[in-house]
Amino acid sequence: MLTRRFLLLSATGALAMPGLLPSPARAQNLDQVAAFIAQTGTDIAAVVNGPGTPGDKQKQLQVVIDRTVDVNEVARFCLGRFWRAASAEQQREYQELFHRVLMINITGKIGEYQGVTIAVGRAQPREGTIVVASIVNRPGNPPSKVDWVVSTDSGGPKIVDLIAEGTSLRLTQRSDYSAYLARNNNNIQVLIDALKQQASQQG
Amino acid sequence: MRRLSCPLPLLAATIALAAMLTGCATKPPVDDPDAMAEYNQTNDPLEPTNRVFYVVNNGLDTVILRPLAVAYKYVVPDVVRSHAHNVLANLSMPGSLFNDMLQARSRRAGDSLMRLVVNSTVGVGGVFDVATGWGWPAHDSDGGMTLAMWSLPEGPFLFLPVLGPSSPRDATGFAGDIAIDPLTWVGEGVVVSALGWTRYSTNAIDTRAGLLDVLDKIKGQALDPYATIRSLYQQHRQSQIDDARSDDRATVPAWFAQPRRP
Repeated sequence: MLTRRFLLLSATGALAMPGLLPSPARAQNLDQVAAFIAQTGTDIAAVVNGPGTPGDKQKQLQVVIDRTVDVNEVARFCLGRFWRAASAEQQREYQELFHRVLMINITGKIGEYQGVTIAVGRAQPREGTIVVASIVNRPGNPPSKVDWVVSTDSGGPKIVDLIAEGTSLRLTQRSDYSAYLARNNNNIQVLIDALKQQASQQG
Repeated sequence: MRRLSCPLPLLAATIALAAMLTGCATKPPVDDPDAMAEYNQTNDPLEPTNRVFYVVNNGLDTVILRPLAVAYKYVVPDVVRSHAHNVLANLSMPGSLFNDMLQARSRRAGDSLMRLVVNSTVGVGGVFDVATGWGWPAHDSDGGMTLAMWSLPEGPFLFLPVLGPSSPRDATGFAGDIAIDPLTWVGEGVVVSALGWTRYSTNAIDTRAGLLDVLDKIKGQALDPYATIRSLYQQHRQSQIDDARSDDRATVPAWFAQPRRP
């Protein structure tokens, strides 16, 4: 007999063993993530191509990014092996600055994205994340291949990386930071100060 | 045959001198496995020398190539630039075809061959890229990729004078590409030589113009532009090689039952 407890147990079991999930459920998960990216692409295009002053658009785009990107996780990844070496206070300050600099870098040149369209392809699991392929079309530019790396670790789907023409943005950022740190005696405070300057200069 | 070799010994001597003057990167201590892993992954033991050339190239770029590219983009209309780009791409198509064949990528070789034939004829000497719309899309193929697919190791990261980011494997492939390019061997005399150099310089300006936004962004946003360019170059090369490796489309005649695509 199917008791409520049995159902509950099997549900927990399925959750605990994602590898053992029946394939329709996993395919559904992939479909969900692909739909999430398609929705995000539509949202971004709607803001960029929509009405409003550049300032308004920047604010709207920030809302979309905050909702869809796990910025804190990206920040942690970009600091790499120095994350553990940083004090709790430094970690907090760094994450906050990273968030601000990222927003400035993405929304700063919003005019460049005018007329952008995103065609979302299929989703595939890769190393604990789900990678959604897409083709981004910008007028006057050849179409470019962009992969969206999505993590579901924090519950809902969140973007943790973009791979543009085979180059991972977070990996590139991490090598930038680690090279900068290596040239400054691995002193995290120097990096934080540099980010402070970036945040104030362009903001 | 045109003489291309004259600046090469000078180039080699400059590199050797700079290497002697600046030496190698210091390895991290063995008891720091994280730092060691990073050192190995970065794959840049000649970093001090490379950084010297990065500064030199950056200077050359600031005073020569970037202004030319900006002017090119400003003066020449979009349409004309894209046609010029098509012509240059078409001129390099025989080289791509050779490399596709050397990589044993038959469908890619077919794409290159058809691109060359269709764009040179219907596309009026390569001005129009007709082939892409007809189902023969462009792809990347060069000597460095060929050597990679022959399992030659990449070697350490190199930042070469004038040429920019590279590796021993890519630099060898580049020299090979010049050697297997039919246009290197066609004709003789001042005019041919001048046309050849015009092609190289237009190519450089065309490429630089395409990178204007990207490089400006890197220099404006990165804390260490050299490290960012190094990482982008290494990742991009790897993805080009991966793309070529995974392009295992079957070679089946059009009139035969086609294999099912996943």
